[in-house]
Amino acid sequence: MSKTIGMTQKRDIVVTENLQMIYTVGRVEVPALRGVDMTVKEGEFVAVMGPSGCGKSTLLHLLGGLLVPSAGRVCIEGVDLASVGDAARTELRRKKIGFVFQRYNLLPTLTAEGNIELARRIHGNGHGAKLDVRDILGLLGLERKLGHKPSEMSGGEQQRVALARAVINRPSILLADEPTGNLDSENSQMVLQMLQDLNRKYLQTIVMITHDPDAASMASRILEMRDGRILNRVKNLYYAIEPTRG
Amino acid sequence: MLKHIYANLVQRPTRTLVSMIAISIGVVLILVSVGLSYGQLNDAAERTRRVGGDIMVQPPNASLFFALNSGTLNERIRKVVEEVDGVESVAPILAKFISDKFHLVFGIERESFEKVNSTLRFVDGQIFETPDEVIVDTMYASSGNLTVGDELELLSRKFKISGIFEQGTGARVLMSLDTLQEMNGTPDKVTMFFARVKEGASVDEVFERIQKRMPSYKITKTSELQEVMSSTAPGFRQFLSVMVFVAVVISFLIILLAMYTTITERTREIGILKSLGASKTYIIQLIIKESLLICAAGVMLGFVLTFVTIQLILVTFPTMPVYIPGLWRVAAASLATGGGVLGALYPAIKAAQLDPVRALGYE
Repeated sequence: MSKTIGMTQKRDIVVTENLQMIYTVGRVEVPALRGVDMTVKEGEFVAVMGPSGCGKSTLLHLLGGLLVPSAGRVCIEGVDLASVGDAARTELRRKKIGFVFQRYNLLPTLTAEGNIELARRIHGNGHGAKLDVRDILGLLGLERKLGHKPSEMSGGEQQRVALARAVINRPSILLADEPTGNLDSENSQMVLQMLQDLNRKYLQTIVMITHDPDAASMASRILEMRDGRILNRVKNLYYAIEPTRG
Repeated sequence: MLKHIYANLVQRPTRTLVSMIAISIGVVLILVSVGLSYGQLNDAAERTRRVGGDIMVQPPNASLFFALNSGTLNERIRKVVEEVDGVESVAPILAKFISDKFHLVFGIERESFEKVNSTLRFVDGQIFETPDEVIVDTMYASSGNLTVGDELELLSRKFKISGIFEQGTGARVLMSLDTLQEMNGTPDKVTMFFARVKEGASVDEVFERIQKRMPSYKITKTSELQEVMSSTAPGFRQFLSVMVFVAVVISFLIILLAMYTTITERTREIGILKSLGASKTYIIQLIIKESLLICAAGVMLGFVLTFVTIQLILVTFPTMPVYIPGLWRVAAASLATGGGVLGALYPAIKAAQLDPVRALGYE
């Protein structure tokens, strides 16, 4: 694996324009996003920070095609999710997006290997580059947990399995919703380090939502949100060296 | 997907087992009902056919199931049948149903019976000579561990077994017509007549002549007994239809309930699958295949339980005929599975339509 110093031309993976989301609760309209404009380039590791209720999770769900925006555009690799149907959003989610959740969200009836295999099966055979289940579990230090069910693993281990599941199909973008929110500091650090490794080694594009400034500091760029808007963009100096695909 | 389905089923073993048992009850219900109905029907038809003769004469509105009739035909009618051109001989028979042992006794007139019958084969002993003697068939003898010379109590009267004949002709027990008429309290009455047609005469023509001569009586060709019985058996089709309907409804409701509670419990899992990019079709398939697996296991269990149930019935009623046509086995499996799949359809569609964000937030 090699690293190159200096700027390289990167394509846009995520582009949002005036992205708005309004929830209707009874007769009351509650705006969650009030016009978000953002761009994430290939290979970027972007952290989105902000207080509870500022619209971070809604933004992540919109980026993942789990929600349809009330107005504006959200494009993933050029496909506007607002203008396509449910089936197309599902297809895009299957082929291009990986999710990591705060609560791990592993299927309790399946083993670690089973959870990852399931993601591969849903993705389908022969579509794009994929990682080997054992390789990825090895990379995440989970070789000995292959046959374990979520209830037999610690939170940190579960989150690493969730991470493996999210990247097994080499998605264009990894969306992480407070991935360290339920972990102790040691496991948090481990998971964050893995995210950074994935970003650096495999040029994995990552958008991570977090409350934790330490977690955000692992990203190449930090976006701060408040009241449904992005306030400013912070360049993280940690990422002075541009990552390249390994 | 199969691994996932199997893991789900194993994760909730009690619910899976209860669902399987419910499906199997539907299968048992269909197969045992069919087995008993067809068993009785085929057995009755075959036994009646083997009494002999070509034409059977019964009173108006009589049933072909002799257990439902008593002696209502005057013996003097025999003369009318004998006078029909082409009739060689007529044998009167009184049928009596022994409810506690679930079998028929035929009262026969020895001479006329031997004229129309050609199938009675003795494995031991001989036909009765006195009013206190009876002959029994091989199944009756083996189920009661009876041999020639043994005493047999029937309708509170003691008889001696004079012979044992190969099963399949008439009733399980045959005795003198006069004796049975006396015991039944119906002297000069019989249940039916069997008429043998003269050699060379056309059965169809003689049949038409008897019909013309006795227009209100029930006249049946013995060669058509099985067909006529299955089409005219009282409530036969309706009974089987109800059993099938009940079985399908059980399968439908139990799978509906099981899958509905499953998807409610697994709302979050469905959200996870959606976040992984599982399509609606994938989720519907997952639920349907899960129900199919339960149904398949339930059908297998149903076959085993049907076998056990039939063995128990045969232990209790050794002479009870049971016959399950092969097509009915396929039908029972298909109907139980079909009901189950239909029951899974609504929960499956409901699961596929879940909002992924709400599903992921489900506690």
